[in-house]
Amino acid sequence: MTTQPILRVDHLKAHFRSSYFGVYREVPAVDDISFDVAPNEIFGLAGESSSGKTTLMKTIAGLITPPLELIGGKAQFSFMPPETNLYGADPAQLARIRWSKLSYIMQGSMNVLNPLRQIRSIFRDFAAVHIGGSNSDFETKTVNHLSRLRLDPSVLDAYPHELSGGMRQRVTIALATICRPDFIIADEPTTALDVIVQKEVLGMIRSIQREMGSSVLFVTHDMGVHAALTDKLGIMYAGCLVEAGRTADIFNAPQHPYTRHLIHSLPRIGDTVQRTGLTGTPPNLANPPSGCRFHPRCPLASDICRTERPMMRQIATEHRVACHAVAGDDA
Amino acid sequence: MTALLTLNNVSKSFTRGGILSRHRIEAVKNVSFTIENNRPEIFAIIGESGSGKTTLARMILGMQEVSGGSLTLEGNRVGGRTRKERLAFMAKVQPIFQNPFEAFNPLKKIDYYLLLTAMRFGGAVDIAEAEAAADVALRQVGLSLSEIRGRFPHEMSGGQLQRVAIARALVSKPRLIIADEPVSMVDASLRMAIVNLFGELRDKLGLSIIYITHDLATAYYIADRLIIMQKGEVVEAGAAREVLSDPQHPYSRQLRDAVLSPQVTGSLSIQ
Ligand SMILES: Nc1ncnc2c1ncn2[C@@H]1O[C@H](COP(=O)(O)OP(=O)(O)OP(=O)(O)O)[C@@H](O)[C@H]1O
Ligand SMILES: Nc1ncnc2c1ncn2[C@@H]1O[C@H](COP(=O)(O)OP(=O)(O)OP(=O)(O)O)[C@@H](O)[C@H]1O
Ligand code: SF4
Ligand SMILES: [Mg+2]
Ligand SMILES: [Mg+2]
Repeated sequence: MTTQPILRVDHLKAHFRSSYFGVYREVPAVDDISFDVAPNEIFGLAGESSSGKTTLMKTIAGLITPPLELIGGKAQFSFMPPETNLYGADPAQLARIRWSKLSYIMQGSMNVLNPLRQIRSIFRDFAAVHIGGSNSDFETKTVNHLSRLRLDPSVLDAYPHELSGGMRQRVTIALATICRPDFIIADEPTTALDVIVQKEVLGMIRSIQREMGSSVLFVTHDMGVHAALTDKLGIMYAGCLVEAGRTADIFNAPQHPYTRHLIHSLPRIGDTVQRTGLTGTPPNLANPPSGCRFHPRCPLASDICRTERPMMRQIATEHRVACHAVAGDDA
Repeated sequence: MTALLTLNNVSKSFTRGGILSRHRIEAVKNVSFTIENNRPEIFAIIGESGSGKTTLARMILGMQEVSGGSLTLEGNRVGGRTRKERLAFMAKVQPIFQNPFEAFNPLKKIDYYLLLTAMRFGGAVDIAEAEAAADVALRQVGLSLSEIRGRFPHEMSGGQLQRVAIARALVSKPRLIIADEPVSMVDASLRMAIVNLFGELRDKLGLSIIYITHDLATAYYIADRLIIMQKGEVVEAGAAREVLSDPQHPYSRQLRDAVLSPQVTGSLSIQ
């Protein structure tokens, strides 16, 4: 069964290029990444801190501003005319797409709510045009939607600084979901929530996604969230996608040495085993290791790893890995 | 034993909303606990979103007045002192905030903060000493001064920024660190490296850490004692592993049961 993907990311490359006191720096934060997101699918993305997840999301959403530059490849949404992408789309086209087709909950966006506006006004600013109807209709819809996120109607009267971190985070999720977009990009949207509220919020995202048949790209470090919520999971390390597949397969049979480490570093209640972080230092992306970027920290590294970059290979149905030590077909 | 930090029935109320919709919020209600001077520990605060954890942290840091009760550090009341006393206090108690994006001024370079902290609270007398102190602290969190020099906050990832914030807190060699969700933005591997680092700071430097988190598994892993908060109140308190293995209060049980396990996939797919 092959369905047309709603998003196809094809050999996408985006680098930060800057110079500081005459020192030129190029950071390959998104380096040749390919994957598809199907309609009605939640695609999760995890990976090392500063491996390029946020940069990948920005590039996909067409938010490419200096020093970030698109170097190659493309990200194509099926709701865009063929051979066009969000990057370079004209502002009117973007405005139409934003909120109704594509909404993007940026990492840390709970901190960029306009401090001078009450939450009610922020909702009016963003969503009223898309929702339509009278003021009281809009108010009712907003209140109902907030209650799905376990927020009291009184938050509408508050200013952002009067709310706790988790409350602001839920306000941004509410803003991004109230227009029921086809595609939601969510970058660490639930980090500030307690586990009870988080579970409810994830359930809400899941049910909106099911009701609408929409798709979600969900970035989080919380592997428990990936396990519970996502259908597919991609793992990033140093600007590269190193493994991707069905979430259950990634958890049950992780192949890439970095993925294995990541999954085994998780502590559990009731388990007192000493857990350690990865040895060695995180790669300096301005000067990444040759060959496989994981090789200085990899227990399985061999000579070829130091010189040749491993390509993504298909090792099982919908399971791809980029590692010389894992056998597979070229994909 | 003398107390490092004592909270005695600490409360805080706010009024929120516009003139017409003003209402009162009891953000923190009668919270009491003590952290001893000679028994460094990691003291976790977990609980509901909006239950007053950050407000409590801000009161301990002297950033917000208490509305009721008393809060003392080594016997002295927190808040309302001269500038000199305030600097001495700030050297002893250092914060790591909930969100690294909030903690840094976007217009100032990252190394500026570390050098400033080293000069102000860390006893460094010149730039060379300040740089050395900053580099030591950065290396404790897996970074180095040369890596971050000249960079602005927006040029760093969330995880990098949080590590810088922890390094900045370490520069003044404090007695107590108040860490408000310090690992919520970093990967699982780094998360373990950072909580292990907290353990080392406790064991080797005799530092106490108030660790506010939504991650019950790391609280179980590293904390000595914990309190669980709901609606401004402490609903359960005790040894971290005991409480989390066998929570007594209904809210604590609910919380423990809602933890999403990475061992069970797809638990949210059927509604
Ligand atoms: N404006 C910028 N200029 C130069 N480098 C940048 C800039 N923004 C980000 N970077 C670098 O690009 C890399 C990827 O950053 P990104 O924020 O995409 O990582 P991430 O995977 O989202 O990390 P985290 O999990 O910590 O949020 C990092 O090394 C970061 O320092
Ligand atoms: N400056 C303020 N003015 C008015 N109300 C406030 C203010 N700061 C906090 N509050 C309220 O106090 C309560 C507690 O907020 P606090 O930020 O302490 O919660 P928290 O436990 O840290 O939550 P989270 O886990 O979401 O970070 C919330 O209801 C919040 O709206
Ligand atoms: S390619 Fe080599 S270095 Fe890279 S992950 Fe595989 S075994 Fe390790
Ligand atoms: Mg990010
Ligand atoms: Mg808080």
